[in-house]
Amino acid sequence: MTHTLHRSGTRESLSGDFVFLYMSSKGINTADSGPKFKKFLEIAQRHNPVNMGDASYGNQFAKGLDNIMGNIKKDYMTAVHAVFDNEKDAAAMLKDVKEADLGLSLVISGIFDRVKGLCQKNGIHRHAVTYSLGIWGKTNKLPPEKVLDVITMCGHGMISAARLNSVAEDVRAGRKSAEDAAKELARQCDCGVFNPSRAAKLLTALANK
Amino acid sequence: MKIDRDICNSCEECVQYCPMGAISMKDDVAVIDQDECVECGICLRSGACSVDAFIDEKAPWPRQLRAEFSNPTVPHHSTGLAGRGTEEVKTNEVTGRLKPGWLAFAVEFGRPVTGTRFRDVDTVAQALAKLGVTFEPANPVTFLMEDVKTGKIRKDILNEKVLSAIIECVFPREKGPAVLKALQEAVKKIDTVCSVDLADLVQPDETVPAEKMLNELGISYRINGKTNIGLGRPKFKGGN
Repeated sequence: MTHTLHRSGTRESLSGDFVFLYMSSKGINTADSGPKFKKFLEIAQRHNPVNMGDASYGNQFAKGLDNIMGNIKKDYMTAVHAVFDNEKDAAAMLKDVKEADLGLSLVISGIFDRVKGLCQKNGIHRHAVTYSLGIWGKTNKLPPEKVLDVITMCGHGMISAARLNSVAEDVRAGRKSAEDAAKELARQCDCGVFNPSRAAKLLTALANK
Repeated sequence: MKIDRDICNSCEECVQYCPMGAISMKDDVAVIDQDECVECGICLRSGACSVDAFIDEKAPWPRQLRAEFSNPTVPHHSTGLAGRGTEEVKTNEVTGRLKPGWLAFAVEFGRPVTGTRFRDVDTVAQALAKLGVTFEPANPVTFLMEDVKTGKIRKDILNEKVLSAIIECVFPREKGPAVLKALQEAVKKIDTVCSVDLADLVQPDETVPAEKMLNELGISYRINGKTNIGLGRPKFKGGN
């Protein structure tokens, strides 16, 4: 489940992309983890998330937030997510999660120096970092970078290049807004780590190409 | 996944959803290439089919691995976790998988876009094993190795295709350059892509030693990635 790593894009585009992952550890702190996951998602709702989801159940666009909350069990092994499209909301989220002191593991995916800055402001010493060393091997099989910038936001690969090109064509033809098209794509990313706000901007650029 | 040709209404809506491009129109009916299908199930979950033509049956061994490694809603039989089936360093402050003085390394085959056969995983795993790396025991791919000392993947699954499969291993920091060079050589022999991860602990002075190693090797890394904030409890004893 390294599904929030390897998101490609420019610094400008990635500056609107912060993924919060909150996870229990099997056999260590899964007991009574359910209320902690619910509290995390409740906190997230106060800070304008652009997506939320539970890796074991689904995302807000496909399942609805009430169902996500209702599905959370008392002793729950999963990862839940909240995605933010700006640093201000991400900073406020981190502050509140730290203060809530719930005790599960928090991973933030984003530009390293931005995330480091958020931690420093909150007096947090980071535990570990995971770097993406990029894509190796038969890279001639890959679609163009502008396509990858959108579809790598679903780290489990549930959004095909063909599907993206189809909705980009809908946007180009005026059949859909970029925002609606981005939300359609977000439905396919089961975990809820897809960033529809960033995707709408990328789709607009793709459609105007 | 299959499509009932008697129910399919030829609308072609499902074709665009397949990440592997395994759905095509044949004789005016949508069909799925069973060899290329990784059983990710997004064609079904997307709701693209308005007439319920998809047939989703539990596959026997070894095909059952396809859904486990490709459908993020299906847990792995080996670890009980969904997705790629591993916690890797996301919970490291409580598991202590990655310890001071060590590096954690992951190779995610088939990601993005291409998918992978286990024979390509086997090629790289065996190359890394020769350097004495320790494969993560709680990783679904490790469960599929005949011998974790050689990295050899069991023969009966080598042709199975999945959306992605991840090898995870740890090794003492000083082995880092040799491991990365071995990977650079091994990927020349595979017929897919892989996304490569390297994890390191943040030092008390906020530096990350892996950055210096990567810079010295001339290996670039993205400006963005994952940061484990370290809020989990109970803390692993002996961690940083």
